[in-house]
Amino acid sequence: MSEKTFGLLLIAPAMLFIAVIVAWPLAETIRLSFMEAGLGGEEYVGLANYQDLLESRKFNDTIWRTFYWMFLSVTLKLILGLIGATLLNAAVPGRALFRVLVMPPWVIPIAIGCIGWLWLYNGYFGVLSGTMMSLGITDGPFEFLAHKRSAFYSAIVTDVWVGVPMVTLFFLAAMQGVNRDLYEAAWVDGAGRWYRFRRITIPQIMPVIVSMALLSAIWTFNSFEIIWILTEGGPRSATTTLIVDTYKTAIGNYKFGEGSARAVIIVVLLGLFSLLYLFFLGKVNKYYGAK
Amino acid sequence: MATLDLCNISKSFGAAQVLHDISLAIEDKEFVVFVGPSGCGKSTLLRIIAGLEEATEGQIVIGGEDVSAAHPVDRGISMVFQSYALYPHLSVFENIAFPLRVQKMPMPELTERVQKAADILQLTDKLQLKPGQLSGGQRQRVAIGRSIVRNPKVFLFDEPLSNLDAALRGDMRVELSQLHSDLDATMVYVTHDQVEAMTMADRIVVLNAGKVEQFGTPLELYHHPKTKFVASFIGQPNMNLIPATVQGTDGNGVTVEMEGGTRLTLPVDTTGVAKGDSVEVGIRPENVTLGGAALDVAVNVVERLGGLSITYGKLAGGTRFCASLPGNAAVAQGGAITLGVDPADCHVFDARGDVLRRTAAPELVS
Repeated sequence: MSEKTFGLLLIAPAMLFIAVIVAWPLAETIRLSFMEAGLGGEEYVGLANYQDLLESRKFNDTIWRTFYWMFLSVTLKLILGLIGATLLNAAVPGRALFRVLVMPPWVIPIAIGCIGWLWLYNGYFGVLSGTMMSLGITDGPFEFLAHKRSAFYSAIVTDVWVGVPMVTLFFLAAMQGVNRDLYEAAWVDGAGRWYRFRRITIPQIMPVIVSMALLSAIWTFNSFEIIWILTEGGPRSATTTLIVDTYKTAIGNYKFGEGSARAVIIVVLLGLFSLLYLFFLGKVNKYYGAK
Repeated sequence: MATLDLCNISKSFGAAQVLHDISLAIEDKEFVVFVGPSGCGKSTLLRIIAGLEEATEGQIVIGGEDVSAAHPVDRGISMVFQSYALYPHLSVFENIAFPLRVQKMPMPELTERVQKAADILQLTDKLQLKPGQLSGGQRQRVAIGRSIVRNPKVFLFDEPLSNLDAALRGDMRVELSQLHSDLDATMVYVTHDQVEAMTMADRIVVLNAGKVEQFGTPLELYHHPKTKFVASFIGQPNMNLIPATVQGTDGNGVTVEMEGGTRLTLPVDTTGVAKGDSVEVGIRPENVTLGGAALDVAVNVVERLGGLSITYGKLAGGTRFCASLPGNAAVAQGGAITLGVDPADCHVFDARGDVLRRTAAPELVS
């Protein structure tokens, strides 16, 4: 057996796996996006599905809502992750315990966590509504997930709650990798805590910040379970992002063609994110001196 | 520049005491090297001077001012780290300018100071590069540049050459000595390399297990080591230590019988020793001559260095012995040689490891 054949044999299982799990569904999705497909059968309609989407004001709103959701959630995750990592990296007693305590939102199944949040947001039994009433902020029960604006921001809070621990731990790992001598040298030179954070910590962990920003953006863009468990995209589409819209169209309404067109648009957008990620990561690594 | 006085410095980490009551008076413009084996406390002592560690007891006095409780920046010191501690994301210019940026120094003055430091360190054409683009020696110079721009009273160096290869280390030793003479600065330098200590220092502090074994000029330490530890730490190759028994004392010194039966009368102060005491005779490898009749050595290994033949062997009693002989010495692995030694070159250490003062030692070169 030649070396080339042996090599091909070795990668064959992985190639087969990718073909079945990724390539074939992707190709099938692209094919379906040109069809009017439902439970009754398929009919070729060309670019009609895409045309409908681009002309639809509702879809336009969904795209903007998705980006707003992603921007807000990622920004909060990064800021809170940075604050959390800084606190966990500080030489305080019991920090090992705090490092463990930060894990649960990430470790426990999302469905379980979301059910907890459902109770928190409940108007009649939830602790948030109860606290607001007892503080006199609201006159009566406030159902967080029943109003458009509060449902949207509540879903973001839950998404941030789930996402922050991982960002925190990545930032913490990056901070712990910064050479301690750099801080001591700066301290001897008279640099204060904030100055050291701004001029040493942030630049030193910048490659990780960029990685987490872009990866977190992709994951948040694709975030489905949290929204679906909390609101199913409602009320009145207030929390319907692209991924939820795709699911509702294709699986909820059996419009496989239109759903596939949405899925293809998601693939294109995420592809662009991935390219941006690689581009920025290369730039940042070069600028900040990473090997 | 300024004097540096350490007064009764002690340091403990929990129950472990790592520095024991250290007092040193370092003079203005002096180059003092702390030397000792790993874990002897030399870096900890330097970090206490810098203000990176707090002494459990004692005072640090710089230029007559007690700075024990002062922030590092207010002590008038600057420090060069073993790892260089350069900021990889900043250019050479910004690395050198870092302490001045912290001080919010106006740009014209900042640029002038950085340029001056770069001139001294021959970094003028490297100012726009990042540390990753520099060689080890150049990085070291950038780290020194960052120290220079602050015009400190005392420069502190924590093993700054240990990351360089042997050839570059030799070059940098010369550069640092030159820098010391150019800046006319008080410098404290930590190393575990006794060659660095001997070649660069005005005075050397030998530390062992958190205590000062001896503080003196390099030649004082070489010719008049106070303890067996200093004697064996200073000098390359290490001093040979041969077990011996005191046979008697008189006005000429102490007569000992060394392992193998050789008797020598050594010109040392005999206070505190008596016939029958166990002592050790210290003989430096470079103080023996081939063809004498004092020591019989069975040769195990010969290292030919060209100018020298470093010869390793064993005495009759099994004690290891090293001799530094001329490059063309007629010695061979597996052979036997007899070596001669001038009694005036020998050191004698009592059972506690303290030296019996030599009475016929050579004059020290100033």
